Amino acid sequence: MEIRSYADYLRTLDDGALVSMFTYRPDLVTPVPPDIASLAVRSSSAPSLARAVDALNKWQLQVLEVCAILNEPFTEKEVVALTDKSALFVMKNLIERGLIYAEKDGLRTPATLKEVLGNEIAGLGPASLAKLKLKDLDDAPAAAKKVLEAMVWGPPRGTVSDIKKPSSGVAWLLEHGFLVPFNQQTVVLPREVAIYLRGNKVHKELEPTPPKIIGDKPKDVQQAAIANIATFLRWTEDVLNYWAQEPATALRSGGLGIRELKELALHLGVEESCAAFIAEICYVSGLLTIEADDQILPTHQFDIWLTQNASYRWQYLASAWLISSRLSGLAGKDAGKNIAPLGPELDRSNAATIRALTLELLQQNDGIAPNFESFAAAARWQLPSKRSGGLQQDYLFWTLRECEWLGITGQGVLSQYGADFLAGGDCAIIDRDLPKPVDHILIQSDNTAIAPGPLEHEVAQELSLIADVESRGSATVFRFSESSIRRGLDHGRTGDEITKYLSKTSKTPMPQPLEYLIADVAKKHGKLRVGNTAAFIRCEDPALIAQIIGDKRLEVLRLRRIAPEVLVSHFDAAETMHVLRSFGYLPAGEDSEGLLLSGPRVQRAQGKARPPRIIGEYEKPDENLIQLAVRALRTGEKSSRQQSTMRNIATEALGSLPRTTANETLEMISDFLQHQPNKSLSIGYADNNGLVSHRIIDPLKLSAGSLIARDHATGEVQTFRIARITGVATL
Amino acid sequence: MTDGPLIVQSDKTLLLDIDHPLSTECRRAIAPFAELERSPEHIHTYRLTNLGLWNARAAGHDAEQVIDTLIKYSRFAVPHSLLVDVAETMSRYGRLRLEADPVHGLILVTTDSSVLEEVIRAKKIAPLLGVRIDKETIAVHPSQRGQIKQSLLRLGWPAEDFAGYVDGQAHEIAMKEGDWKIRQYQEHAAEGFWHGGSGVVVLPCGAGKTIVGCAAMALAKATTLILVTNTVAARQWRDELLRRTTLNEDEIGEYSGSKKEIRPVTIATYQVMTKKKNGVYAHLDLFDTHDWGLIIYDEVHLLPAPIFRFTADIQSRRRLGLTATLVREDGMEGEVFSLIGPKRFDVPWKEIEAQGYIAPAECIEVRVNLTEAERLSYATAEPEERYRYCATTRTKRNVVEKLVELHAGEQTLVIGQYIDQLDELSETLGVPLIKGDTPQKERERLFAAFRSGEEKCLVVSKVANFSVDLPEATIAIQVSGAFGSRQEEAQRLGRILRPKSDGRGAKFYSVVSRDTIDQDFAQNRQRFLAEQGYSYRIIDADDVFQGKL
Repeated sequence: MEIRSYADYLRTLDDGALVSMFTYRPDLVTPVPPDIASLAVRSSSAPSLARAVDALNKWQLQVLEVCAILNEPFTEKEVVALTDKSALFVMKNLIERGLIYAEKDGLRTPATLKEVLGNEIAGLGPASLAKLKLKDLDDAPAAAKKVLEAMVWGPPRGTVSDIKKPSSGVAWLLEHGFLVPFNQQTVVLPREVAIYLRGNKVHKELEPTPPKIIGDKPKDVQQAAIANIATFLRWTEDVLNYWAQEPATALRSGGLGIRELKELALHLGVEESCAAFIAEICYVSGLLTIEADDQILPTHQFDIWLTQNASYRWQYLASAWLISSRLSGLAGKDAGKNIAPLGPELDRSNAATIRALTLELLQQNDGIAPNFESFAAAARWQLPSKRSGGLQQDYLFWTLRECEWLGITGQGVLSQYGADFLAGGDCAIIDRDLPKPVDHILIQSDNTAIAPGPLEHEVAQELSLIADVESRGSATVFRFSESSIRRGLDHGRTGDEITKYLSKTSKTPMPQPLEYLIADVAKKHGKLRVGNTAAFIRCEDPALIAQIIGDKRLEVLRLRRIAPEVLVSHFDAAETMHVLRSFGYLPAGEDSEGLLLSGPRVQRAQGKARPPRIIGEYEKPDENLIQLAVRALRTGEKSSRQQSTMRNIATEALGSLPRTTANETLEMISDFLQHQPNKSLSIGYADNNGLVSHRIIDPLKLSAGSLIARDHATGEVQTFRIARITGVATL
Repeated sequence: MTDGPLIVQSDKTLLLDIDHPLSTECRRAIAPFAELERSPEHIHTYRLTNLGLWNARAAGHDAEQVIDTLIKYSRFAVPHSLLVDVAETMSRYGRLRLEADPVHGLILVTTDSSVLEEVIRAKKIAPLLGVRIDKETIAVHPSQRGQIKQSLLRLGWPAEDFAGYVDGQAHEIAMKEGDWKIRQYQEHAAEGFWHGGSGVVVLPCGAGKTIVGCAAMALAKATTLILVTNTVAARQWRDELLRRTTLNEDEIGEYSGSKKEIRPVTIATYQVMTKKKNGVYAHLDLFDTHDWGLIIYDEVHLLPAPIFRFTADIQSRRRLGLTATLVREDGMEGEVFSLIGPKRFDVPWKEIEAQGYIAPAECIEVRVNLTEAERLSYATAEPEERYRYCATTRTKRNVVEKLVELHAGEQTLVIGQYIDQLDELSETLGVPLIKGDTPQKERERLFAAFRSGEEKCLVVSKVANFSVDLPEATIAIQVSGAFGSRQEEAQRLGRILRPKSDGRGAKFYSVVSRDTIDQDFAQNRQRFLAEQGYSYRIIDADDVFQGKL
């Protein structure tokens, strides 16, 4: 079969080749394309190619760039000549990825690839149209050499004050065709000239191997990592418990406000960036949610999470981190604008990729705490693509920092726990290495209690109810005070219960002052009672009060006796009085000062006057306004008539609208562009409202889902969305 | 993971389990860089502070040593971030140095010019600086040495001070050991001070701070100015100096309200130093009149504000602060450290007690029920009168009477705040009273009578809170105090902590009205002692009446 196009080439591939292509480029099979034509369209579309290019490492990219600047069809030999023998291996791989393909006359790249790689690949200008005597360059005058020197490594465009009056060097170059005028002020260095001057190569340095990562080899990695893990688990619990007691409120624009982040950081005793990270992890792992009323609260998942063992808890958080597309490091970064943690602005599409890359590099460099510069260089080699600004150094830095916080690394080195986690293990070693929880405390006579290790969950919960936490860490220091004991009593504990619980939980005898403190607070607690009521009834004669409370007819008031001489009612004073009067009692009203209210007053509204709006005729507009309105109307009318006339002419000339499927459309257009440029096409194009109109166009270029073409009706170059083209027909 | 005695918390507190076999060793190892915060019975709390870490640097410890110590004794893995923080903090010390320069006098030198750029731009620092000499050096006005050190400390770039101390006028002083020996901890304290140059020594009441002062003088061998709280203390210092050192009476002068002697060793009172004449402090010149080689601040926690200010200007003289209780309700502890110098020596009270150098003491809070009538008038009293009211109730007097009776035959002090209450007590108990307007002679006579055992019981006002040496006092009964002052409580306990000749323990009673503000204040007052490991026992007034103690 003769290979005429990329689609034809794909048809020749066997299953194995397709499988490896799909493995490299998973976007090609999500969703699965209906036929090879669709596959060809998708795989040569700009977004898919861009993804494929992004996945290349520096060396692969260099070879691909060389392929892209060669005139098609090109040969392996030509590529090797400009690079290195080892490029052959890379080319094989690039073919597997579908970034180069073979036709019978030689190798080619998919049509859109050059566009994806950018205008001036490797700082090279366009190929020269004329045949050049490159040898002449060696004898160029000094002035010309100076110009060439400045332009040789790109960018290939140079600015001159006036192309008609060039300096002597530029003049010589223009004369020999070594520079090409581009416009009045710009000259371009042709590709061949640059390659010749670069010593018959494209890149200054070929980088076939990744830069080496250097760094220290710290000891006590495991110890540091387990400390990090223990700390991180504690932080998570702390954050959630903190917000469970005093829920933070999210900003209207989403996320956590600066003040609340500061408070959180203060509570945890960490930097704000770390606090933001912990909150984010809670969020992405579903332990925390932002309620409809903007309250930030822990979820039920948190309660379930708490009951699991430490290894599971940690894995749960680390897995959520690994795949999340959110970068907590961005929080608060911008000086002008605050980016809020838990807010909508933290998503970055390459976050997970960078994390995966970071971890891969850490795995490859086991035992080394990488020096950041060398680490960043290695990472840049792995992901050199410049799309979206290349690999941000910050992102790498944050990812390494997060690895440390999480305990995936200890002192910057991948820990056993991290390695086990990445290998998909169960991380049971964490349970083995974490300090065992303790179930007791040591109470001291300065009203503090110390838990000499991580406390069992139930004990910690109970203690945090009756004591304030004074210091956190592997151990916890609690302080008992009047207000903390009161909190316990408020939560329904009695003084005796607290004393018993403490003496049971404490390994040291209960100091007498603490016992007294608890007893004192318990004695006073609840002596005063406070409640809501709408009205009260009081009477100096308890007998009358008794009569009222016994009166069945008054049950409607739901009266309650709170003292021998006082009743309270759920209804307000006016209503209560009304009911009492209707059953023959003679109550009098009291105001807030206790004074007797006299007589019925003439009633007045309490609020401000708000008269209704006046509805009537519109005001008469002035002459000027009317004139303007008419003129606007006329102009609009004229342009729309013009358009419809044009449309009618086109319809008449072309008959019915062409119809093709999107894939056919693409294939036709790209074929047309390749083989019959400079001819017009007739297309159906849907507007914003779905109305299909007929257009006659000169296609210029396909790019990222759009067709750039000149529209005959308007004479302007316009972008047509492929999805909106209902059909294409040749004229 | 070791099973060490130390738990390193992420908020930089260190918890030391003192029941652990390695605890003593660990305490010694962390003492140079961690500050002792609390020392109750089971777990002592230390804290890593910037100041503490910098002092450790100044004393020649490096970050690696500190980190190794933490890891070595830690029970659990130490958070890495904390270690990094320690290393970073310590590395800030010494990037700036204060040096003496033959041409410019005092200069600030750096090894890191960006740090110098940062500090000279600071608003508080700029006015203290002179001409810029080169990229890494700038002149400093010599008089601003204290000020600039303080400001740099606040900025987080502590300067290492190589400018040295003035030796002062030399004067031969030596210790005179005979029937007594200087104790080990006193020696450590004096040496700790001497190596550090200036600083504060914290020792419990009755543990012999004066001897530390004497030892420091013997190391300095120079003329010395000693600042004390009052005249009684001044005389006690003189007696001690005569007994413990080779100084003779002619070499020691007293500079007080009554005498104005300036001699090689001069003892001045805070009172006279801060006395104003026509709106100026007439006596502050004393600092300058003589080329002092050493200035000792006794009871440094009481340092009055004018002396604070003046002290900032004499940074080239060695300064030694002595105290038992460096807690100030006004939160000025930090100022003391930065002006006099860092804490050079601190030791838990209970440890000295265990060594037998202070008497074991039992603290008892006696709770008194107010009568119904007293409760009512307490409830309706004006807020500012409330404490006075509940602290001076009649019921208390009965309890005190009973307590004195129960301890008849033992040397007893009844201590209070309100003079009319003390007048009444003195009358009821039939014992003499010492208060602010008791003449000096009379005071000394009564104290002497008490020491000799002639007087068994004294009622004293706050004049006897500190610096009064009453070795045989065994019982103290506190009836009222300066609200919630922790320091006063500790000082009052200190009155009875001198080891007794027969090894008896001391008893400290604090009589408190139940369910009043008196009780709340008592709780705050007891905090310092509770943190030192003194466990209060609470008993009811009825128990006292029934003789159950």
